[in-house]
Amino acid sequence: MTNFFNSLFGNPRGSKDEAKARLKVLLVHDQVDLTPSQMDAMRAEILEVIARYAEVDREKVDIRLERAHDQVRLTSSVPVRRVTHRGALSA
Amino acid sequence: MSECIVITSGKGGVGKTTTTANLGVALARLGKRTVVVDADIGLRNLDVILGLENRIVYDLVHVIEGECRLRQALIRDKRTENLFLLPAAQTRDKNAVGPEQMKKLVAALKAEFDYVLIDCPAGIEQGFKNSIAGADRAIVVVTPEVSSVRDADRIIGLVEAAELPEPSLIINRFRAKMVKAGEMMSKDDVLEILAIPLVGMVPDSEDVIVSANRGTPAAFDDKSIVGEAYRRIARRVTGEVGVPFIATEEPENWWGVMKRWIGVGEAKEMTG
Repeated sequence: MTNFFNSLFGNPRGSKDEAKARLKVLLVHDQVDLTPSQMDAMRAEILEVIARYAEVDREKVDIRLERAHDQVRLTSSVPVRRVTHRGALSA
Repeated sequence: MSECIVITSGKGGVGKTTTTANLGVALARLGKRTVVVDADIGLRNLDVILGLENRIVYDLVHVIEGECRLRQALIRDKRTENLFLLPAAQTRDKNAVGPEQMKKLVAALKAEFDYVLIDCPAGIEQGFKNSIAGADRAIVVVTPEVSSVRDADRIIGLVEAAELPEPSLIINRFRAKMVKAGEMMSKDDVLEILAIPLVGMVPDSEDVIVSANRGTPAAFDDKSIVGEAYRRIARRVTGEVGVPFIATEEPENWWGVMKRWIGVGEAKEMTG
């Protein structure tokens, strides 16, 4: 059906645009892809740094690579119980 | 009874991945529980041809290394019942997996599925050995070109050396007009050289490019002649006999297009 209308009225947005859009996302993903064990290691290291400054609720930590429409984004939700002052002293 | 079929060719770029995706879709649409497995570790593509690339979390190497369970790595295709993808790892090299591990993986998949289709990487190295390790039989994809037929001949030898049964053949990117003009090897020419049973002929068509752009295999499109070719291959794979081969290109005049669009057109057929 869509093919038919496309051929009748010209093709405002052919499949090549779809191909390009998909490719852009793919290439970003390929370049930032981490294995689950690498992800775990990164998560642990990030938390280690945060722990120098604040006490966090480790059970509720959510750090992940999100596949947004045209980019990959590192998002984190780290509930803080209280700020410690050890970090300020050593810094 | 479940079966593991490896889709192979030797030469790259002849349509193994497209064939695997379309045959998977067509088998699933026949009601067969089907999983397509991308065995091209480090250069995965089957996910893209199926348009499932954004849903990958785990892959084949994660399963083999025990980082996740098999079911966690299987991506269900929401467009049809019965179709699943097991993607390859993109960030690992081919030696992350060996033939014994593949055998185990295929055995686990066969317990869950009617058909396990393995998309074999090009070449005759590790990836090929892994791909055939767990397979019950092979389908060889060939285009009617000298280089492709030569590599197919080599692959047929290797498949038989691995003690798999005689493979069957798909002739891909067939152009009826060129054959008629004597500028392309015919089905019979190719079969005379390769001498294995033919399971399908797929006409060369722009549909394949558009469907790859979109991530929607032609086998989903009931109006596509290429889709029809793959649906017929699926029927033959399940054991149906007497399914005629498609020997035509896409109808090119407007009336042919019109007839197909309104659903009264039929693919020109050739038997034998």
